[in-house]
Amino acid sequence: MSKRLIYLLLSLIVLINFSSCKQKQGETNYSDEFKIPDSVLTQGELEISEEAMEDIIENVSSPVEIAALIKSVGVPYSKEYLATTDYVDHYNTNFKQALGLGIFGADLGYQNMYNKTGSVVDYLSAIKTLAEELHVGQFFDFTTLKRLATNNQNLDSLMYISVQNFNQMDRYLSENNRRNLSTLIVAGIWIESMYLIGEVAKNTPNPELSEKIGEQKIILGSLMLLLKNYERDPKFKELINELGEIQEIYKEVTITYEKGEPEAVEEDGMLVIKQNDKQFIEISNETLMKIIDKTVEVRNNIIQM
Amino acid sequence: MRKLIFTLFAFILLIATHKSYAQSGQELLDICNMVAGEATYLKDFQIKLDEAKPGEESPTARYSLVLSKNTQYRFSVCNSKDYSGEAIIQIFDNNRLIGTNHMVATGKTYPTFDFKCSSAGVYHIFVNFKEGKQGLAVVLLSYVDRF
Repeated sequence: MSKRLIYLLLSLIVLINFSSCKQKQGETNYSDEFKIPDSVLTQGELEISEEAMEDIIENVSSPVEIAALIKSVGVPYSKEYLATTDYVDHYNTNFKQALGLGIFGADLGYQNMYNKTGSVVDYLSAIKTLAEELHVGQFFDFTTLKRLATNNQNLDSLMYISVQNFNQMDRYLSENNRRNLSTLIVAGIWIESMYLIGEVAKNTPNPELSEKIGEQKIILGSLMLLLKNYERDPKFKELINELGEIQEIYKEVTITYEKGEPEAVEEDGMLVIKQNDKQFIEISNETLMKIIDKTVEVRNNIIQM
Repeated sequence: MRKLIFTLFAFILLIATHKSYAQSGQELLDICNMVAGEATYLKDFQIKLDEAKPGEESPTARYSLVLSKNTQYRFSVCNSKDYSGEAIIQIFDNNRLIGTNHMVATGKTYPTFDFKCSSAGVYHIFVNFKEGKQGLAVVLLSYVDRF
């Protein structure tokens, strides 16, 4: 009887350990599960160190913030602004796919902000296709996102999961020697976000939108630093030259600062840190229009490729 | 024999307990997103640091973020219960400390705080664990509103 009991207990231990191992395998260890062929890895030395890259890469362009601003100034949603998903097959190289992923990602953020779940599924499908081509489809929870979008329920979760999936893709690419693709995704998001805000500002002039476009002088500076790391690649060089033309126009934008003393206050039990700096962004209407027009040109070149 | 059975039972219990309490980064992230409340998730940082060696400074994780003008952000911290470390966040603008979730004067550490950014640019986020303890935490950046 005792022997049987011991045998039973030992079996239980083995079973627990086995299930524990299985659970560990199920956890996100993508480096083992998804071996990337050497051919898709970045080759050659980086112009700036990986450490320095990490210093400048986070949150370079956030479609959520841009879409929230557009919505906050009372501009209604327009499908006309979005890049078409009809020709997703035309994105047939890793370079184009990564840029396209960023562009559709920004459009997804814009639609999510306005709760336009009807058209979201097309963009989710396009993102899934491109992500799979880049071998990062495993980070994109298409089934859950599609269910949330189709049922028009729990829209906060739709936003949370989709942004998180993009971050996971970005992190994976960065950590697996494919930062070139991650940089292109960021570039795609920035270009499309700039396009969206530019089109809105053209149709509905607003000082907040103009200032936001002016502020992008700083963001573009960081993005160019990232892109220039790969300028030996002709396709990167071409993109850098195009964005360089926008950067050239940005020289007409003046940004000045007035330092203030930061303060920490408690508001309703919540700690709030107020920076209290002042930043003045001067951008003329002429410069604004030049930036918008050039951005349209760059963006349309990409989506028609 | 009874001792052996008892030992085996205790062993099973230990394994089962360990299993059910180990927290993954994703679990911490989901908790942190709840802590952030109505704010919209933007970015997360998963930090795991070793205990500080005697006589050395606490290990520190460092990130750089681009933040926008006139925008209120929320930083939320979730510490893993598997480690004793309690994460401290510091926000720097170049070399100037702008804010932290740890008030030295009161000794209070806030699990969440808002940062009202009035100047667009690159900010540096430093995260370490109080008293140089070993720790695992998720720091979540979310968007609250424009002001």
